[in-house]
Amino acid sequence: MKLTKTTFFLGIALFIIVLGVLRFKPWNNLTSMATKDVIHQGPNGLAHHELAIGFLPVTCHLTCPVTDFASKTTHSNTNFDSRLFTDFPTVASALEAKQIQATFMIAPLAMKLREQGVPVKICYLGHRDGSEIIVGKNSSIRSLADLKGKKLALPSLFSNQNFVIHKLMQDYGMKPNDITFVILPPPDMPTSLASGAIDAYFVGEPFCAKAELDGYGRVLYYARDIWPNFISCVLVVHEDLIKSNPEVVRDLVRGIAQSGLWAETHRAEAAKLVAPYYRQNEKVLNYVLTSNPERVKYVNLSATDEDFQQIEDMGLKLGYLKKRTPMSELLDRSFEPKDLTPAAITTAEITDHNKHNR
Amino acid sequence: MSKTDQQLQSSTPNSLKKHTDIKGIISPFIVLFSMLILWWFVCTFNIFPSYALPSPEDVLKSFKEEIVAGRLVNDIIASLWRVVIGFFLSAGLAIPVGLWLGQHAASRRAFLPMLNFFRFLSPLAWIPFAILWFHIGDKPAIFLIFMAAFFPLVLAVMSAVATIPTIYFRVAHDYNYKGFALITKVTFPAVLPQIITALRVIYGIAWVVIVAAEMVGCQDGLGYGIWEARNGLRLDSAVCYMIVIGLIGMGIDRILIQFTKLPNVRWGYER
Repeated sequence: MKLTKTTFFLGIALFIIVLGVLRFKPWNNLTSMATKDVIHQGPNGLAHHELAIGFLPVTCHLTCPVTDFASKTTHSNTNFDSRLFTDFPTVASALEAKQIQATFMIAPLAMKLREQGVPVKICYLGHRDGSEIIVGKNSSIRSLADLKGKKLALPSLFSNQNFVIHKLMQDYGMKPNDITFVILPPPDMPTSLASGAIDAYFVGEPFCAKAELDGYGRVLYYARDIWPNFISCVLVVHEDLIKSNPEVVRDLVRGIAQSGLWAETHRAEAAKLVAPYYRQNEKVLNYVLTSNPERVKYVNLSATDEDFQQIEDMGLKLGYLKKRTPMSELLDRSFEPKDLTPAAITTAEITDHNKHNR
Repeated sequence: MSKTDQQLQSSTPNSLKKHTDIKGIISPFIVLFSMLILWWFVCTFNIFPSYALPSPEDVLKSFKEEIVAGRLVNDIIASLWRVVIGFFLSAGLAIPVGLWLGQHAASRRAFLPMLNFFRFLSPLAWIPFAILWFHIGDKPAIFLIFMAAFFPLVLAVMSAVATIPTIYFRVAHDYNYKGFALITKVTFPAVLPQIITALRVIYGIAWVVIVAAEMVGCQDGLGYGIWEARNGLRLDSAVCYMIVIGLIGMGIDRILIQFTKLPNVRWGYER
């Protein structure tokens, strides 16, 4: 065919149309409309609602994909879909725009959102502990005092890690500028440590385990050594959802609690289950969960006033939070289940699921 | 006017064609192949530790993984869609604006500082606003591409118009072309070759920006794939995405070169 103006522009138009059709897949809409009543793909077919929950591939958010999995294989009134995000600002924006109505996020960020007038409530916790300060394997750093004049990387100014390290520095009688703080994306922290760009970092798992497994990092402090029952991430729910559909929120908190209870005692299985959701190497996750059970805990996940009062006090003192939010406004414990049983997940189901996702 | 140009050009021998012999075809492949060998060599002999540079074998494995899972194809479509829409939006607005500004010296003087100001703002600086205004999905990425492409294109079109020989306009005046007819019959055809060159450059910018734009505020796309691979501590999969980005970028540029073979603009390139 000869190249003329008409064929050229027809070609471009065709290209855009084909691309648009492939992008939006109109046939998916048609099929989903036909099967709208049946949300559930699992064996029980009892779910009447559906809810997307945001999470990041960090072990603080492990219960999110577990709940997703459990809602498809066990009896639950709601079908939960875990939605993978890669950074917290996007999660916050999605929550503001109500593109998701429930998500996991770092605790001080949730408090900041509330302070800025985004109607969100903290309904539950992600996990306890699960963060470490990592230093170079052969470095001479033995305590926080040795970090004086060194570079330490943090995931965000609005991370509880930032608050906690300042508490530790006070305990050691250090001044705030004794350590140079660098904000780095967590995935870059292990490699920055290996190359010597930073001397230490304080972040959630699995980015600590990575440095240990690759053989260039060691743990200086576990979070629990500094702040017992350390909280990194929390389950945040938009108030609109709480008002319009409290039953779904009740299902969600129950699902998260039961998933936590299951993960606490089935650690190797949990690593296997979430690896395809996280798109991470199972080996790293397995190490985080099984090498030392004290490393991360998925029980005792109720959001208490004392915990958050402590975080808020520190945030105000450091100037990251501007005004005091009453705990009754920030927390909502009414959805926490009274009787808890571990989520009924079998190893056979995990193996089966992973096979389909490979 | 294009006819006389073509006649002139056809009498000169086309020296470019004679060089496309066997050597010319295989030499790029030799360069690419030796780069692969070098990469393999660096990895096999552990010149860099494996966490700093994934090996070709690992990258190949993750290629297979991503294709089997269907993510790669989905990400390619998502990125292409955003680039194409952003590209056509900015071209559709920037070309008329550039043509108009090129012909009106007073408004050109008024708008030039503003255009230059925005041209120097990296589109990455707009990322927080893109997320605030357009939330997540296709829109913020398209907005960033638009911001990256629009201003340079307006300036390119504007300066192209300014270089049109005045004789064209004098002839146009004799034929009594005015306003819209002047733009479509004289100005636009006269600058079309330069516009096409500018479009190729702009497309290059758009394709570079999409990777950065998708790193935030998106849930699919090639840039997101790289970001996610980082989060998953999977540099092998990041390299696999980088290779795809480079190949598609090259491929689409080959298609854009076809623009220059349109009969109406060929005169602009045959020098």
